[in-house]
Amino acid sequence: MKKITPAKAGIYTVLTLWALTTLYPFIWVILNSFREKGLIRRDSFSIPLPGSGLTLDNYAKAMDRFDFGNAYLNSLIVSVTVTIAVILIAGFAAYGLVRFRFKLRGVCYSLIMAGMMFPVFSTIIPVFRMEAAWGIASSGSRWLSLLAVILPQIAGNLCFAIIVLMGFIESVPLELEESAYIDGCNVFQVYFHIIMPAAKSSFATVAIFSFLWSYNDLFTQNFFLRVPREKTITLLLNEISSQAGVDYGLMAASVVLIVVPVLMVYIFLQKHIIKGLTAGAVKG
Amino acid sequence: MGPTLYRKKGPLIVFLLPAFLFLILFLYYPFLQNIWNSFSHITGLGTPAQGLNQPWYGNYVTLFTDPKLRTALGNTVLLTLCTVVFQVGIALILALLVDSIHVGAQLFRTLYFFPIVISATALGLMFNLIFLFNGGMLNQLLSNLGLISQNIDWKDTDHFLFTMFAPVMWQYVGFYFVILVTGLNNISQDLYEAAALDGCTGFSQVRYVTLPLLRNVLCTCLVLAITGALKVFDLPWVMFGAGMPQDQGWLTGTYMYDQTFNRGNVDYGSTIAILIVVLGVLFSNIANRVFKPRDYI
Amino acid sequence: MKKKKLLALALTAALVSGILAGCGNDNKPSNSGGQSASNVELTVVTSYGGDDGNRKNYENAVKSYEDATGNKILDASDSSNEEWKAKVLTDFQTGTEPDVLFFFTNADAEPFVQAGKVVDIATIRAAYPDYADNMRDSMLASAVDGKNYAVPSSGFWENMFVNTKVLADCGVAVPGPDYTWDQFLKDCEAIKAKGYSPIACSLFEVPHYWFEFAVMNNGTLENHLDIPASADDAAGQKWVAALNDIKDLYEKGYFPVNTLTATDAETVQLFADGEAAFLIDGSWKVNHFVDNYGDQLDNYAIAYVPAKGQRKASEAIGGISMGYFITKKAWDDPAKQAAAVEFVKHMTSDEVMSTFVTTEVTALKNGASPAGLNALQQAAADANANITGVVGAVQDTVSSECKADLFANVQNVVTGKMSAEEAVNSAIAQN
Repeated sequence: MKKITPAKAGIYTVLTLWALTTLYPFIWVILNSFREKGLIRRDSFSIPLPGSGLTLDNYAKAMDRFDFGNAYLNSLIVSVTVTIAVILIAGFAAYGLVRFRFKLRGVCYSLIMAGMMFPVFSTIIPVFRMEAAWGIASSGSRWLSLLAVILPQIAGNLCFAIIVLMGFIESVPLELEESAYIDGCNVFQVYFHIIMPAAKSSFATVAIFSFLWSYNDLFTQNFFLRVPREKTITLLLNEISSQAGVDYGLMAASVVLIVVPVLMVYIFLQKHIIKGLTAGAVKG
Repeated sequence: MGPTLYRKKGPLIVFLLPAFLFLILFLYYPFLQNIWNSFSHITGLGTPAQGLNQPWYGNYVTLFTDPKLRTALGNTVLLTLCTVVFQVGIALILALLVDSIHVGAQLFRTLYFFPIVISATALGLMFNLIFLFNGGMLNQLLSNLGLISQNIDWKDTDHFLFTMFAPVMWQYVGFYFVILVTGLNNISQDLYEAAALDGCTGFSQVRYVTLPLLRNVLCTCLVLAITGALKVFDLPWVMFGAGMPQDQGWLTGTYMYDQTFNRGNVDYGSTIAILIVVLGVLFSNIANRVFKPRDYI
Repeated sequence: MKKKKLLALALTAALVSGILAGCGNDNKPSNSGGQSASNVELTVVTSYGGDDGNRKNYENAVKSYEDATGNKILDASDSSNEEWKAKVLTDFQTGTEPDVLFFFTNADAEPFVQAGKVVDIATIRAAYPDYADNMRDSMLASAVDGKNYAVPSSGFWENMFVNTKVLADCGVAVPGPDYTWDQFLKDCEAIKAKGYSPIACSLFEVPHYWFEFAVMNNGTLENHLDIPASADDAAGQKWVAALNDIKDLYEKGYFPVNTLTATDAETVQLFADGEAAFLIDGSWKVNHFVDNYGDQLDNYAIAYVPAKGQRKASEAIGGISMGYFITKKAWDDPAKQAAAVEFVKHMTSDEVMSTFVTTEVTALKNGASPAGLNALQQAAADANANITGVVGAVQDTVSSECKADLFANVQNVVTGKMSAEEAVNSAIAQN
């Protein structure tokens, strides 16, 4: 397996090149978010230095024009609620589908597979009408509007979550559950004390993906959240980009403001993501 | 069979009910409406249907005669193929390479996953700055290097496929990369050693040991890639809008959106949505048949 | 351990949201319909969001209303486009419409006017006699049923902006009110020879400005608003000729190289940065230039769109196309009625209107009195003084499906993939 140095060098070159493509665009955006207006289209490659194009104006403008704090709070409320609900509901369903043998099991499984493919544009109008009839969509109340986004987002993430979790729960050895049962645990205790801890990293994957997709989902949010106090961070970015027109510095600064928290959360949790994702996907 | 623990079916209802309640209310019921809509005559978003279409299957006839949909299908199939070949392909190569090194492997894994963390809207803005005609990153770079004397219009008919596909490819390589890397980790080191004893090293080892053992994982990637490609919407929409350039840049996702939301052609939009789901089921079944090992359920 | 932290974070967030939700419920409006009810929350939708030139003026006006009345405005404004219109109409159909709406008064408003979802001015005046009494009744837009629903806001004009720096560099004179099409073609050739783009326009995103004037150029003010029944009748022939005029400009290379792939923002910037000479746009762009290119205003002027046939270059597009509607929902809600009426009165008062208006027409009896004009606004006022005829836009009288189809096909006409006749027929079929 061990190779001579030239081959190794080649391998590192290729890997580094790809890493540059994933890293460089972010560096480019970050650099330009500090650059003076008008300089971006002339010279976007140099490092802005104090006295030669460095400015914090773009950030000042973004912070001044938009209520970022409130938007982060809204995003957090929506995405955290979605994440918790998806984990609980999908975990239950995956466990039930994996461990119990019943007549409609195949049908249920196919329904979930099909659910992964429904485009959200084709379901949004009926959902909007239904929620408007329930009085939670466009009701003028901030909390109901957030709820109106949360419910369809939970449904939208469930199918992927169930599939991934099923793959992992399948690989938890049955003996553990049997012995717990003999010790007097009921099914629910088995789920919470045996399955959930054993499938920890898989649950982490589902959590991260639900969080990311909910946080980044522009379409559903844009449909249900209209009033400034309801707006999430993703909507704010959308608004900025339409207001900024050709103010590329302001755009770059806004992108940074939105992306950085997610990147930090990701780097903080990345061990769990990568472990969990692969564990689930390989078995699924 | 089944262990005693799971003989009683009572708790099952508690486990399944919440999930299916959500799915029925927010996915299946709306989608059934969508099927009904595809046969109806609807003139605006949220307007009630004004009876059935004349003839009721009219939209399905249009599917076969609409040149823009043909363009959209062509592009989408091409995108699906590119996704399978490049996304999964590049991911596989990178995974094999990372698997063969020790120093820095963790760093590369982290970096490669970066693009997935960021929303398509933010990526769209970023790529618009990169591909901007007048002073975009790419045109600046090429002219600084003296490779071009005139700006390239990256969104014109000669370049749009690259400009549209490259960001989509780039974004998800990391996703499949991570799946494949762990698949590789699961392959026992003993197998490699045994193969090496038989004189099987380097490329032949990859060909005869690694790839066959990776088949399951690759298949999962393929199905995810295919269903993902059919639904692609955000990035192309932010970067290209309605069919740019000159109605050649449609994808099934963007075309469906445009018909439903900008043209008030809700019933036809619903029909395209059904086409997307049918194609998704069809393609992933084909992928399963072709690639999945027989003992795999 | 990290999982525990995540869980703690989640619980905190849930807790915070619960507490905040509690707070939110405490201060719900509890008054019951007095005339001077305060703390009323009104939902308002306008097109003054996004990059609209009047966004700041609108925000200030809303603020002064809130300060004066103690009411709260929940503003869901956006910039106007087809998606925005679709959203507004959907809201009416699902019963989630706003209390006050600022919207187009033409065919676009028909669905909710016909459904009786908005209140007409006569009904409002029966209870509030001074409602819209500062407006000239003759200038109120009439709906199909002959009633007036909307209180008109400021109007608009469309005309040609020129970059005087580019013109000077090319030795081209700033067009006057007698500007002809032939002279325009010569000027374009000279500008192109100097390496500039003569016309700043994204044919992909905003071909409608050139289309409107090209139709005018092939007809008269009187028949401008005729809608074709097919490409073969007189009006249809006008539209076909208009599309072919645009095609001619495209083939001569007078549009920017990437006109079929650029956005409106990109081509406007070409003009603003002195890389293109001519731009047809509307009165709302004046404030855009003031806000974004305040130091270069001397480089821009407002001139006249070159004329062909019977049209004079001093004839332009203009009118009042939007106004404030009060919805039935707000009118029937005793807590909101007075607040909604008060809001519209505030937004259309002489003082507030004067902050929105620089050079546009209004329906105000006393006229608007803008506070001082900057260079570009003065140029617009000067140009307007020479305008000899104004007509509304014909594209505003057809359905939005028809409009969307027509303008999406402009790119196919100029590249020869579709004939102008086919494009007109295809659009008319959707009207």
